[in-house]
Amino acid sequence: MSQSQDLVLSIKGLTTNFYTYEGVVKALDGIELSLKRGDTMGVVGETGCGKSVTAKCVLRLIEPPGRIDGGQILFYDRDPKTGETQETDIVQLTPLEMLSIRGNRIAIVFQDPATYPNPVFRIGAQIAEVVTLHQDLGREALEVRIKELEESLKNSPSPEHQAKIREQIEHYVSMLENPPKPDRKYARKAAWAKAVDMLRLVRMPSPDQIANQYPHELSGGMRQRALIAMALACNPSILICDEATTALDVTVQAQVLNLLNILKKEIGASILIITHDLGVVAETCNSVTVMYAGTTVESAGTKQLFENPVHPYTIGLLTAIPKLHENKERLDQIPGTVPNLINPPTGCRFHPRCAFATDICVSDRPSLEEVLPGHYVACHHPQGNL
Amino acid sequence: MSDSRVLLSIENLKKYFPLTGGVFRKVIGMVHAVDDVTLDIYRGETIGVVGESGCGKTTLGRTILRLLDATAGKITFMGRDITHVKGSDLRAIRREMQIVFQDPMASLDPRVTIKNSVGEPLLINGVARGPRMRAMVLDLLQKVGLTEDHLNRFPHEFSGGQRQRICIARTLALNPKFVVMDEPTSSTDVSVQAQTLNLMKDLQDEFGLTYMFISHNLSVVKHMSDRLAVMYLGKIVELTPEDIFRKPLHPYTFALVSAVPVPDPRFSGRAVILSGEVPSPINPPTGCRFHPRCIFAQEICSSEEPLLRDMGDGHLVACHFAGELDFGRSAQMEYARAAEAEAS
Repeated sequence: MSQSQDLVLSIKGLTTNFYTYEGVVKALDGIELSLKRGDTMGVVGETGCGKSVTAKCVLRLIEPPGRIDGGQILFYDRDPKTGETQETDIVQLTPLEMLSIRGNRIAIVFQDPATYPNPVFRIGAQIAEVVTLHQDLGREALEVRIKELEESLKNSPSPEHQAKIREQIEHYVSMLENPPKPDRKYARKAAWAKAVDMLRLVRMPSPDQIANQYPHELSGGMRQRALIAMALACNPSILICDEATTALDVTVQAQVLNLLNILKKEIGASILIITHDLGVVAETCNSVTVMYAGTTVESAGTKQLFENPVHPYTIGLLTAIPKLHENKERLDQIPGTVPNLINPPTGCRFHPRCAFATDICVSDRPSLEEVLPGHYVACHHPQGNL
Repeated sequence: MSDSRVLLSIENLKKYFPLTGGVFRKVIGMVHAVDDVTLDIYRGETIGVVGESGCGKTTLGRTILRLLDATAGKITFMGRDITHVKGSDLRAIRREMQIVFQDPMASLDPRVTIKNSVGEPLLINGVARGPRMRAMVLDLLQKVGLTEDHLNRFPHEFSGGQRQRICIARTLALNPKFVVMDEPTSSTDVSVQAQTLNLMKDLQDEFGLTYMFISHNLSVVKHMSDRLAVMYLGKIVELTPEDIFRKPLHPYTFALVSAVPVPDPRFSGRAVILSGEVPSPINPPTGCRFHPRCIFAQEICSSEEPLLRDMGDGHLVACHFAGELDFGRSAQMEYARAAEAEAS
């Protein structure tokens, strides 16, 4: 397991089906994905390719009629205190065990900032909720209490009273080493302080004030930043951004992407960016996984993939986007549409739309193979410079 | 206004939406959605309109089509003032001007077959009915790449890209001269988007259409358009026949262009980050509306409103310092330069 040392997430042969009235939707069929510690990986693909389903599988958020039918999601969590790495297969966890991972060790930011924050709670309260749920705030609560006592010491009228407060402070300081379960009142205060800290971390102007506001009082970009703050509140190992900037305007998107780039260095979490926009990938990620119709088709470092795409689908995807500097009459298009996943094509799922398809593509499913160092492709007829 | 090349011209067009409040629904403010826009649209061209959400690009398109009534200003279509036409005159004009909306699922009736959806304009305008309508609808569907089998199906049986094609077929039913495309591809995927854009270009050549292409996606608009108008808070800040990314003269255009992520990792992290967000159009900033976010802003920008000035070759810019500012180079420009160097 020398390879797993620097991995934080490794998805092997993940298969997820949705059992609907019309038939079994084979949403994921043997997904392979590995995320290195400290890396930012982009997962790209079109609607229905399974990128969001993959994210939901990692958090075990798949609900009936969906079911994870096979494969492994190995999560290598490193204990922040001891530095020990522990391997967990997320697929095998019970829902109760999952609670301690979801939102704590693995966090997610969803696409639509208008619908995800709860409209009836203040921003600060929603971030504080995550903190109280997942963190033992014993120490922080004591610190808040000591701080309050020190405040009152300054305003104290009589020497006897002061002596009493000093005694209390000493008592609490002695408990700092081995904090007991926190008092509800002080835990809430500590969580709120942490929420304000998180808002400051995501570069929110006047975080104290924002924490007291309701989601509708914030603009889209600020709401998205608040959601990022919420996701980062427990120092997760993995942050998943599921189309986190899709609903934002370009100038605001640039702000959020810039923030992610800065935070990446500060928090040391590995980030999984799910998007359909190759520009966003190029801007933020250092490795990319391309998905098509529930399968992984190509995976490589960002530079490598953009310079030398190997899978015909990746090539098609890269040439189909209009570029600002080109004066093309027509765009190169990929013929046909994304297949229906109830009856996916046999063999390689891309073969009906592929210009290079031969008989073997119809009959045999290509496996993900390393064609160049660190560059994995699932194709019988890889293109590009090999 | 006797220029025969002009198909549609708008002068000082304004569209304000009243904001009501209080017990008696009193008007307490105005949303300045479109504020004093002047624009000529030539026959056979595609004019692109870009801007962030809330800049008034959709309202502009709808006001031109008389789907919304203008607050002030004048719309001239084919030499005729259509700002206040009503009744059957308006209906006659609507035959010439059509719109394709963003969400094709929402603009098709889920309980009506494709044949009847596409044929409805023919029926309403008394162009054709019965077997003749069917033949015409089939002809239209074939033009957008659908077949006879699709005639009697319902919208839910189609993919997003196909639905958008159906909507396009329906707009073309009455042989219009002018079509507003309101974010036609923002709900479709990249590969399908390429197909739709190619189809639109083909149809434009075939039917001699004039397009107004509205989108927030700069690359798509640039690909489709001959001329490009950049809107900010209800105003056109720059109108250019040239490559907007090559020679942006307005600081907002430059920031907008540079914020578009470049699909090449070599040029990452070079976006110009604009601070803040688009201000509310209820109380737009005084003077130049961009001045609170502009890094080049001077005193004059907050007091005096810049007018659109011609900087040569029909390149219009509304900025006090147009042509005097040095923006540096954006990632987009570097990317283009590198791509050109590679090509040669």
